[in-house]
Order: sequence, then C-alpha cells, then structure tokens
Amino acid sequence: MKKFTKLLSVICMLAVVISMFSACSKKNENPGSSSGSSSAGGNTAGSVKELYIYNSKGENAEQFTAMCKAYEQATGIKVRSFSIGSGQDHMETLRAEMQGAADAQPAIFTIQGLKELIEWKDSGAALDLSSVTDNTEFKALVDAIPEGLRLTTDGTNSYGIPYNVEGYGYIMDTQMLADLIDGDMQAAYNDLVFCSYEEFEAFVKAVDAYIKAPSAATVTLNGNTYTFKGQKTGLAENLTGVFAVAASEKWTYGDHMLNVAINAVFPNVAAANSATQEQLDQLKGPFSAFARALDLKTSYAAGDTAGAKRGNDFIVATNYGYDSTLQRFVDGKALFMKNGNWVAPQVSALDEEKASRLTFVPVKIPLTQEDIVAGDWTVEEFNSTIPVFVPMYYAINANKDTQTIAAAENFLIWLNTTEEGKRYVTEDFQFIPYNADPATTTLSNSLGQSILNFMKAGKTLSAPYNGAPASWGGDTVGLEIMEKYLTKETWTEEDYGSIADYAISKWKEMMNQ
Amino acid sequence: MTGYYKKWFYPLVLPALILFAMVILIPFLLGILYSFTGWRGTYFAGGGEWYESFVGLQNYVKAFKNPKFMSSLWYTLRYTVVAVIAINAAGLALGLMVTGISKGSGAYRTIFFMPNLLGGLALGYIWQIIFNSLYTDLLFGPNGIFPVDFFSYMLQDQTKALFALVIMMVWQTAGYMMIVYVTGLNNIPGDLYEAAQIDGTTLWQRFKNITLPMLMPSITICVFLTLANSFKLLDQNIALTNGDFNTRMLAMQILRTTKDTTPPDYGLAQAQAVIFFIMIAIITLTQVTVTKKQEVEL
Repeated sequence: MKKFTKLLSVICMLAVVISMFSACSKKNENPGSSSGSSSAGGNTAGSVKELYIYNSKGENAEQFTAMCKAYEQATGIKVRSFSIGSGQDHMETLRAEMQGAADAQPAIFTIQGLKELIEWKDSGAALDLSSVTDNTEFKALVDAIPEGLRLTTDGTNSYGIPYNVEGYGYIMDTQMLADLIDGDMQAAYNDLVFCSYEEFEAFVKAVDAYIKAPSAATVTLNGNTYTFKGQKTGLAENLTGVFAVAASEKWTYGDHMLNVAINAVFPNVAAANSATQEQLDQLKGPFSAFARALDLKTSYAAGDTAGAKRGNDFIVATNYGYDSTLQRFVDGKALFMKNGNWVAPQVSALDEEKASRLTFVPVKIPLTQEDIVAGDWTVEEFNSTIPVFVPMYYAINANKDTQTIAAAENFLIWLNTTEEGKRYVTEDFQFIPYNADPATTTLSNSLGQSILNFMKAGKTLSAPYNGAPASWGGDTVGLEIMEKYLTKETWTEEDYGSIADYAISKWKEMMNQ
Repeated sequence: MTGYYKKWFYPLVLPALILFAMVILIPFLLGILYSFTGWRGTYFAGGGEWYESFVGLQNYVKAFKNPKFMSSLWYTLRYTVVAVIAINAAGLALGLMVTGISKGSGAYRTIFFMPNLLGGLALGYIWQIIFNSLYTDLLFGPNGIFPVDFFSYMLQDQTKALFALVIMMVWQTAGYMMIVYVTGLNNIPGDLYEAAQIDGTTLWQRFKNITLPMLMPSITICVFLTLANSFKLLDQNIALTNGDFNTRMLAMQILRTTKDTTPPDYGLAQAQAVIFFIMIAIITLTQVTVTKKQEVEL
C-alpha cells in the first residue's frame, strides 16, 4: 500500500509537470508554424509558408475564412485567419496576439481608426504603407485611397487599406412614407433629404400630430407641399412616435450623432486629432445645434403603446436599450431610427421585406452659415449629407520579415483589385467597397445602395469624432447627456449651451491627458 | 505515514510551487515592475526595454491625482462599510434562524445558500430587471403600490445605487456566511446556555455574553471574507450599473483605465492595482489581528 501511494504520487507529480511544459511549448509552436513545416506552398512569395490574418470583425468570420481558402487555392499560399467572437473585446485579443516573437504575430491585422492606430504606430507594429516603393501595384493601391478615407496622422503617411465603408443617418421605411403621404413617395423622400432643418422639424411635429389625431393636414418639404392621408392606413397604423430612440445606449448620441456636428469644424479625423483651442471653441455653435436636434429627437420618441417621454424610465436599458429600440422600429412604431447600414442583417432577420425597403434620411442639425468652418458646404448642403466612413483598416505588421510583408501586400492587392476578391467583399461580406465606383456599382442591400447614392452625389461627411480624445464621446459627453438631460422632461436654451460647453471643455481637458 | 510525508515533502510540494510561481508569483512581480514603467500593453513607451521606459513613481502620483481613481476609492470604501455590516448581520440572523428551528433546517440552509451558485454578471443583469420592473414599476415607483422615492430608480443615483448593490450582495452572499456561522453556532456547547438559563438570564444577555464571544472565530472568517470580497467587487458592479452615475468601484476603475486613454496606459493601471493590493492587505490583516484578539479559548 505504502509503495503504491508513493508510486501514485510520483506519477501525479510527473503528469502535472509534463502537462505544464507541454502547454508552454504548444504556445510557441501554435501560430509560428510558418518556420517549422517544410515547403508546403511557397511558390510565389519566397519562403512564406503561412500568412496569418487577424480579423476583428466577428460577424463575417465564416465568409472571411472562405475568402482566405479561395486565396489559398488561387495562389498556393497558405492563409490562416482568426476572427474574434462577435462582441468580444478586439483590442485585448489583438494585444495578446501581438506579444512575443514576431514569428507568431499576425502579418495582417485590423485597426479601427486613428484612435487605435496611435498604439500600433508607437509600438512600431504598423507599417507605413506609403513607404512601400518596391511593389508598384501595391503602391498604386495605397495612393488611390481617397484622401478622406486614409488612415493617416499627418496627411502624408498611410497605415491601412480600408476594410469597407459604412454610413448612417435616420433609417426610414419607404413604404411607411408612402402610407403617410398622398402622392409621389419618391418625390417626398427626395424633399425630405434636401429640406432644411426647420422644415424637417415642422414635418416631425406634423407626423406626431397625425399619430395622435390623423387628419389631411399639409406639410411643406423643400418648398413643396404634401398632404397627409386623412386616415391611418397600412404601416402608419402602428406608429406611436416619430423616432425610435435607444436612450440608454449613450454612444448612439455621444458618438455618431455628435459626429455630424463635429464635421462643421473638422473635415476629417486627422484635423480633429490635431485640434487647436480656437477650433474647439468654434464647436460651440454646432454642438448647441446638435443639442437642439437631440431635443427634437427625444421629444418625439416612440414607446410601446404611446409616445415615450424623457424621464427616469427613458434611460432604463430594459425599456429603451438597443435591441428593444430596433424591435420597435421593425414593428413600425417609429418612422425614423438613427442607425447605420450595419444594422441591415439584424433588420433582415426580423423582417426581410422591411429590410429591402429601407433608405437613409440625413441627420439634420440647425446650423447657421457661420457655424460651418470646414469645407464649403452651405447649411442646406450640409443637412442633406450623411457621414460615410471607414470603420476598420487592414494594417501590415512591420515586425514580420520582408517576404511575409510582401505576401501580405499581394493578398491585399488580390482582395481589392481582382474580380474574385471584390466579389467576396460585396456579395459575401455584404460590404460597400471603399474603392467602389458609385456610377457602376449596385448593391443588393437597400441601405448600402442608399449610401452609394449619397456617395454618387458627393454628399458625404466623414468621421472626425474618431480624432477626439479616447472615451470623450459616448463615455463622457454621452454619459452626461444620459444622466442629466434625458431624465429631464423639458430642455431650455441654457441646456443646449451647457451641453455644448461641457463637450468642449471635456475635449480640451482630455486631449492633454 | 508522517515519515513518508517528511521524506517526500519537497517533491510533493514542487508541482504546486511551480504552478503558483508561474501563474501568481511571477506575474505579480512582473506587474510591480510594470507599474514603474510606461508599459502600453505590447511595448514600453519611450524605449525598447523596460529599463529605458522607467518612470519611477510617476504612475503612482498620476493614480492619486486621477479624480476617477479617488472617487472610485471613496465609493468602494463607503460600499465596503455598509456591505460588511449588512452581509454579516444577515448571515448571522439566518444562521440563528436555521439553528433555532428543528424541522426543515436543511432545506432552508440549501435555499439560502443557492444564490451563491449564480455568477456575478448574470446576477447583476437579473437584479437590473428586479430593480427596474419590480422595485420601480410595480412597488416603489411613482405609479407603484407604495411609492417610496428611495427604492425607485435605484440604479440612477450614486447613493441609491450603493444600497442597490448592497441589497443584491446580501441576497447573494448572506447564505454563504450563514453556513460558516451555523458551524460556529453548533460548536458552542449547550451546557453554557443551560447554566445561563438557570441563572435567569434573558435571551439578549445569552446572545451578548455567550453566543457572540464563542462565535468570534466564525466572525473573524466572515468579516475577512466579506471585507476582501467587497473591496474586490467587479462583475456585479459592471452588470448592475456599469459605473454610470459615478458608481465605478476600484476593480472596475483599474479595468477601465486602459480604455480611458490611447495608447492604453497599462503602467498606470498596474500602479493602481498595486495600490489596491496593498490596501486590501493592510485592511484585512488589521481586521484579522483585531478580531482574533476577541476570540476566547475554552
């Protein structure tokens, strides 16, 4: 017995120690198998055995793997992709992958805009693509990125190839507009796009009055008069409010909606990133206008059975969270929902037909001509544009050996210039390609097509809020609005001013941290 | 058998020691080192090696100057005081209850212990619904059955949220403390009570002069556990309020520090973690020494 216990303990001990060491060595051999295996496929890019791509979008993981397989078949270069889970913290995972030997690190990784770039630029992991000169095809690809979409800190360097473009605004079901208004729906939609803020505000109030007591009232949009249907018909029957508002999700107004106002002073991310005190002071007007537009939006919000009111109930996540807001919109309880084309698959899962009828109306804010410092927009033009931006970029890991970097360049060329690569982007990922020619491209998805139409007309703003200090938008300004203002039934002129002042002073404070 | 253990002591302890060193000791020491550098998660700011990025006590100074850190420290202290008292009072009351009844005490013990099996995040989300739908909509809100301002919209005010968190944590952990107290209560010899009863003492006198002193070992353990856990509370804080309305506690503050700036300031987060560790160590060690002194030997 004694001997047996002794033997057992030795075995257990050995098992623990061995498993520990095997776990360690496994870690080393995992992604770095490129150095180990024999010449499986390095025919085009020298001795590259495997191209490791880190994809921080979980939603298209399956299609992404299929795309990598297709590349492997076309070129013989082994590609291994890793997509994070949907909703997982992509930065923490990426940081873990970027630790240790360069061999094990991804050759291509994804960066969500300038805020994240700073980290990889400082660490030396992000390759300045504008410095590549030996690969003419790649150089052409980098040079062709439109200026507004470039991932750059100073305007000349360039650290990423855009993943796709996305856009947002007030999403509207065209059929619902047709059910609300007598006459030509398309004309009414066009006039909604081009109308002034004041006309839009009058329209919102008219729709609200119509929901409460339908009558054949008239409303003027872009100078043209439209008459409401005398009675509620079709999709207009379920309406409880004008806007579906996710009041408990502070980033929805603290990031994207605020970004519209930031565009009045900063034309792009790099400009916002190097903001001066004077420029920040110029945001006072645009931010007050934003607050006024947010007041309108939250005053005419849809609830489950009747209109929603600002107050304590308004910011409770179980009442006005993201998913319940989306559901309310899909159920036809609201005419508008501020959101982006990325929401299309979710709407489609709930109501496929509705998803095929959606379109964008610009988020309008009551600016004056003096407020608009950047670009030469008139107020009317500014209010008929939607923000279109690159949510994510492919970056190349500068720590890798030259052959792997060359292979990474070739992969990005394949993805963005060949028919097969582009097909994956538009059809399998359902993306709007950043290099799409709006004149010739058509997309099967209605929101994507709507964005293409704005791009075609040159009516797009960018995403300068990405140049604001980290956690300034949703976590600071959005939080303040949620805690102090969305719980308050009426807003005053002073409230508009103090929201603007708070946003500006926090930006100034946080940019020096 | 003792000879066997004596002879094989070091080989038997070695695997555990190696594991402890690899997953706790070495990361802990590395963490202390990082707290003196400009560590950014994947690289050192201003240099290739750690010594080139050495910033001395700068991260510690920054931590104490950070209003978010100081407010979360203060909030954590306030929460800890309330939670330690509430959880232990509830745990002891439950313990007295289940030892006082003769029938079905096993079933009650199981029921009271069960909330402990739930994970912190799940619990937080469930209680978010309870505070909103039950507390606010049904019971205490402006349109509820008994309108009480304090219990409505508890997650939308810093002080109310503190008590909401306490209510939730009492529900979760009082059952666990109850088990410890029950063991302690069962170890008190019955003849002490008998003798006291013959002397004509009241119930309160017996509780104060027999139960409490005899229960001191259990109290030491329970206060230690609740103190340390309240200080380290993270999941429930994130799930219940996510730090909104200034309800960020220390653990969450450390976690979110890396998101507050770009590039992420892991050095600063690590300095806060070291301060956090020292504080917990000092507070719990003091508590254990103080309560140990109160324990009586028979």
